[in-house]
Amino acid sequence: MAYFHLPVCISPQNSFPEVDLYQIRESKNNLLEVMEPAYPGIPAAARRRMGKSVRMAVGAALPILEKFPQPDGIIIATANGGMEDCIKFLNQIVEYNEGLLTPANFVQSTSNAAASQIALVTKNHNYNITHVHRGLAFENALMDTMMLLKENKDAGYLLGSTDVISAYNYNIDRNAGCFRDELILNTHLFQSKAKGTIPGEGAFMVMMNNQKMGASAGLNSVKTIHSIDPLTILKTLEKFLSENFMPGEWPDLLLTGEDGDERLLPYIDIVESSMDKCVPVARFKHFCGDYCTASSFACWISMQIFETGTIPELLIKKRGATKPVRKILIYNNFRGAQHAFILVSAV
Amino acid sequence: MGLISAIGDSVEENRISLQHGRSGIGDIQFYQTAHAGKLPSAEVKYSTEELNKKIFGRRNPTITRTSLLALHAAGEAIEDSGLTKEAIHSPDTALVGATTVGGMCLTDELYHDANAKGGGTPYLSSYDYASVTMAMQERFGISGEISTINTACSSSANSILYGARLIRHGFARRVIVGGAESLAKFTINGFNALNILSSKPCAPFDRDRSGLNLGEGAAFLVLEREEDLKGKKSYAILSGFGNKNDAYHPSSNSPEGLGPFLSMKEALESSGLNERDINYINAHGTGTENNDETESRAMIRLFEKVPPFSSTKSFTGHTLGAAGAVEAVYSILSLVHQELYPSLSFQNPIPETGLIPVLQFIKKPMQHIMSNSFGFGGNCSTLIFSKT
Amino acid sequence: METADLKRQLKEQIIHFLNLTTVKPEDIKDDEPLFGEGLGLDSIDSIELIVLLSREYGINIQDPKEGRKILSDINTMVDFIEKNRTK
Repeated sequence: MAYFHLPVCISPQNSFPEVDLYQIRESKNNLLEVMEPAYPGIPAAARRRMGKSVRMAVGAALPILEKFPQPDGIIIATANGGMEDCIKFLNQIVEYNEGLLTPANFVQSTSNAAASQIALVTKNHNYNITHVHRGLAFENALMDTMMLLKENKDAGYLLGSTDVISAYNYNIDRNAGCFRDELILNTHLFQSKAKGTIPGEGAFMVMMNNQKMGASAGLNSVKTIHSIDPLTILKTLEKFLSENFMPGEWPDLLLTGEDGDERLLPYIDIVESSMDKCVPVARFKHFCGDYCTASSFACWISMQIFETGTIPELLIKKRGATKPVRKILIYNNFRGAQHAFILVSAV
Repeated sequence: MGLISAIGDSVEENRISLQHGRSGIGDIQFYQTAHAGKLPSAEVKYSTEELNKKIFGRRNPTITRTSLLALHAAGEAIEDSGLTKEAIHSPDTALVGATTVGGMCLTDELYHDANAKGGGTPYLSSYDYASVTMAMQERFGISGEISTINTACSSSANSILYGARLIRHGFARRVIVGGAESLAKFTINGFNALNILSSKPCAPFDRDRSGLNLGEGAAFLVLEREEDLKGKKSYAILSGFGNKNDAYHPSSNSPEGLGPFLSMKEALESSGLNERDINYINAHGTGTENNDETESRAMIRLFEKVPPFSSTKSFTGHTLGAAGAVEAVYSILSLVHQELYPSLSFQNPIPETGLIPVLQFIKKPMQHIMSNSFGFGGNCSTLIFSKT
Repeated sequence: METADLKRQLKEQIIHFLNLTTVKPEDIKDDEPLFGEGLGLDSIDSIELIVLLSREYGINIQDPKEGRKILSDINTMVDFIEKNRTK
């Protein structure tokens, strides 16, 4: 089994450097934006070349790299990382009519900027890859890491994700009907039934290896599905449960990516109702907002739950049996077309 | 295998162009850019409308050129593979795509939508990298694991090696892997701003080389396990691969070509082959001052005697996210037909390294071929193909 | 414009253009190398500075290698600007 060590999460909530999941920070103008920390470890020369998504990724990676300076690989997931710089460069192209342009925005806009900046500041020559498959980018990165750890038993890999709200995804996605029209607070996200959610952003970094000792959690299994049919999701879930649990055994918590968009409720409902009634249900997107790699936030939340032994009140949707939470089933979907189940366990 | 590029819209057409030294680099005909007529590029010789009609019969209003190229090449690959409909739709058939432009070839539409100028265009969900892979997922009904990779110019080399590992670890029994790229103001102006585009056809490894030409294209390959072949034809074995990072600078290689050296070395080690076993290298060879010199240094360091090598980018231009897969197909064609394709436009070797690429089309018996793809961000990948 | 004022203006422009958020104009010495040691700028910065010269002073440098000689330090840049500016 692969194990998570030293998870770091930079998010719109109190997650770094101090963690406080018992208070929720409110959204502003329907945006859940990250309040960036100071990042003392990023050298100024490197920092000026970093857009927000790269800064967050590098900032989250540095505390881990202090303990594990040379990971055997860097695996990053991002769907919109770099888009801020992309739009800046695009605007230059239009403003200057394809004339004399400055290249920094272009170089900084590439998806692999985060993975390569981490390699650059640590002079890491090892395996380096960036997964960009929209709502399953993080799950693909998880699978990539799982495979690497089977191939290299003594290795350790830096795994992470980063996505930001930028004009690219905010204006475009808003026009595509992804977000709520009405002004709403994240704290009221689940109180009204309407189309759309609110966007969020965040970065997550963790060290993955095969060492159980000192780990924050174990990664049991990942399954992804491309489908818009709730029954397909149900069938996949049933197979996933039969492969990971004994008959009559259930996860100790179902943590879903319910995001306030009523169009996605059929998927949430079918997954929730297939759980035994003893299984408590929690949700996380009112904390982090919706973005492509939000399932990484769910993984981080799971590790906080394992560490404290309690489910933060503000996350709970439905109570269940009170017993130690040792296995968390995460279910997330991105806009109803990409779905994933991730099973993590306490060590 | 399936392929569309500036030198042909099928694997066979590409091969014929390679044999006859017919480059696809020239003036930009279809794409609207201020640089048309100034920066030679290797365009696929069809308008987007024509590509759209070829694939959908009628105009599909939300699909981008990059996705159309991908659908074309993946379609050829799937047909060539002889996979049944059942196999294609099976949950153990995976798909790994790659692109660095995605739907951003529609620069004007993207500008309009990103700056929220009025109502949205039909392309609102088609700009991201995943949209290309999702277009294939939808068209071919892929229900297994699906991924999209963007590591700049090494993207589709990584999609090939990632796909192979999905099979190795039981996440799939067969994988469709590759990449697609189309011309975009974004990349034309980005590379131009870095002063690495040439105003002449590129001359990889030449002393007077002055930069790269952008190209477009798509290539896809179907990977299967040996035990599943059951007498079906196969073109080559993916016998090794390497993925390393140069970690020197965001947009250029270290002077000694450390990343390229490590990537080639790892590919060799993973294949169990000796450096003397490599019969030919399909080099990354973009025609930039930095790449060609550093790749040369890396080859000299790794190989006691540098094997014959050439850059097919002198035919296709640099197809960025598709390059790894396009050149994988060319490497496999070389192996299958036991022939080498030349590097065009070469006159004089780089004085510091003295290497001379293959200059003529020749037949040559070969067992193992190496293909290099080195991208921005120090992402270096190498693939080794071996004769079946 | 007085040379001293131009030097100060140029330093502010360089800081802004290259996103040197931790540097103040008074930190940049007039004869300190801009590339390599000194301010430690790199090849991407040299291209950015060529663009700056074009946009702010109307000077077009065609050959990037020629550009590196001009971009040696603040003094050489200001000298060049004074002789060649069209804005």
